[in-house]
Amino acid sequence: MDDDIKLKEEPASNSTDKVAEDKKVQEDATNKASSASTVENKVEKKQEKASAPAKSEEAVIEFKKVSKTYGKNIKAVDNISFKIAPGEFISLVGPSGAGKSTLIKLLTCEELPTNGQILVSGRDISKLQKKELPFFRRKVGIIFQDFKLLPRKTVYENIAFALEVADAKNSAIVDSVPKIIEIVGLTSRTNAMSEELSGGEKQRVSIARALVHKPKLLIADEPTGNLDPVSTWEIIELLFKINSQGTIVLLATHDKEVVDALQRRVITMRGGKVISDQAKGKYIL
Amino acid sequence: MFPLTFYRIAKTSFVSFWRNRWLSLAATLIMILTLITISFFISMMLITDRTTESLRDKVDMSVYFNDSASKDQITAIQNILLSRADIKSVDYISKEKALESWRARNKENDNIRDLISETDNPLPRSLEIKTQNPEDLEKINTLLSSKDYQSLIKEISYKKNKLLVDRLVKLTNFIKIGGWAMSMVFVLISVLVIYNTIRLTIFARSAEIEIMKLVGASDLYVRGPFVFEGMGYGIIGAIVSSIIFFFAFRLIVPAAENYLGLSNLNSNYLGISLALIIGLQFLIGLMLGTFCSVLAIKKHLK
Repeated sequence: MDDDIKLKEEPASNSTDKVAEDKKVQEDATNKASSASTVENKVEKKQEKASAPAKSEEAVIEFKKVSKTYGKNIKAVDNISFKIAPGEFISLVGPSGAGKSTLIKLLTCEELPTNGQILVSGRDISKLQKKELPFFRRKVGIIFQDFKLLPRKTVYENIAFALEVADAKNSAIVDSVPKIIEIVGLTSRTNAMSEELSGGEKQRVSIARALVHKPKLLIADEPTGNLDPVSTWEIIELLFKINSQGTIVLLATHDKEVVDALQRRVITMRGGKVISDQAKGKYIL
Repeated sequence: MFPLTFYRIAKTSFVSFWRNRWLSLAATLIMILTLITISFFISMMLITDRTTESLRDKVDMSVYFNDSASKDQITAIQNILLSRADIKSVDYISKEKALESWRARNKENDNIRDLISETDNPLPRSLEIKTQNPEDLEKINTLLSSKDYQSLIKEISYKKNKLLVDRLVKLTNFIKIGGWAMSMVFVLISVLVIYNTIRLTIFARSAEIEIMKLVGASDLYVRGPFVFEGMGYGIIGAIVSSIIFFFAFRLIVPAAENYLGLSNLNSNYLGISLALIIGLQFLIGLMLGTFCSVLAIKKHLK
């Protein structure tokens, strides 16, 4: 594991002294408020290491003239083609109804394209057999705006769940889950019930769960939609950290600030088509 | 690996069973009712079948001969009858034997009994004829009523059992048809109830199922709990109904034997016994439960 970038340590939440607590909250806010620039700084540092737009030979995901039509004439995705190279961090932006969700559904095989091919590691995933789907899905982590955690289960159990239903041995689970919890910085909340968590913490559990199978691709569908600005940046920072360790991150978002600050590739969609694909893009309205 | 998988699936199923316990209880009860009904009618059929059989055995014809008929003539008739395929047995009752029976029948009543003695024995000799099927007695009757035998034969009489057996056969058929019909109705009801119960369970767990699919759960984990649930209804239903049936059997069979004058109802008749009926319950329960769950999964689980 790359130790270059470490998340800030989770502040201890056991303080009974209200004054100290208030001060701490203020401190955090000040810290996080500048995390936008922190991220920018990190981005600048990594400028030299930033991957260039995908070259054909390197592309690990490729959309080839993909269309998805619902019913007779609702074209959710219209003749889209693009490539994704390993290690890329891509923001997918566009107004509601542009086709972002459909594109994501196509990528996870929840929907099949009406036309075209979607190649992942050279394999056309629309031709995957039913029994291969679960294995494919394990290699594509995905998190949502509404977190989708299991109620009445702890942080640990939520993450372990993903391993259990993939037939992992108990020993493997006991081994790997704490490590993943540490990556997302929730060690102190390991046994908290999902209902007790804050929005930011819930999203981190979702991310942890998405990471259990060490996916090649992590899709984040409006992950910060339900979060306050501070938590938003925490999550973006976490995604960035994950990306720096080799996972492709596809971030679908409406958050202009985030997109602009990231200075990474931006694919803009409108009306089912890709209207812009920039290596160091900005959020275009 | 396999026991762990099974354990996980079973645990999920149990938790869901418990969470919707009233639903689960209803489905289990219906299964119990269905299985008890089926077992009950099978037993009824067996008992009436046995009764019919044993009564058919008692149906016979007695042919009484005139004193003028010679032993040879009687033997000749006996042989003719014995050579027929539809005859089961032909027993010769001599005057002495007739006297024995008379004495046995009237042992309570000395006056009547002593009306007849060895020296003054008006009791006729007879042939007791049993046919393979009670229906064939008619043919024998026709045969023996012909002119050839008129001089020899005093009287031909059927035992009244034939009418009774006819009635009983009708009753058995009625019970068979009625039993099948009722069983089918119960099976249909239980299929509907269990199918719907599992459908509801699928719906209740839909959020969890969605997450399962997202994290790439194998089909076994998605569907397994529901199949397990269906089979569970079958097995639990079979266990409870077997226990009920076992005790009912213990109580009813001796009473039935007494009342109907049969013996050994639970011995292996046509290979069917208590153990087999219970085994049948489990088989039917499992099949019904699994069928319902597979159907519900096919239709309501993407």
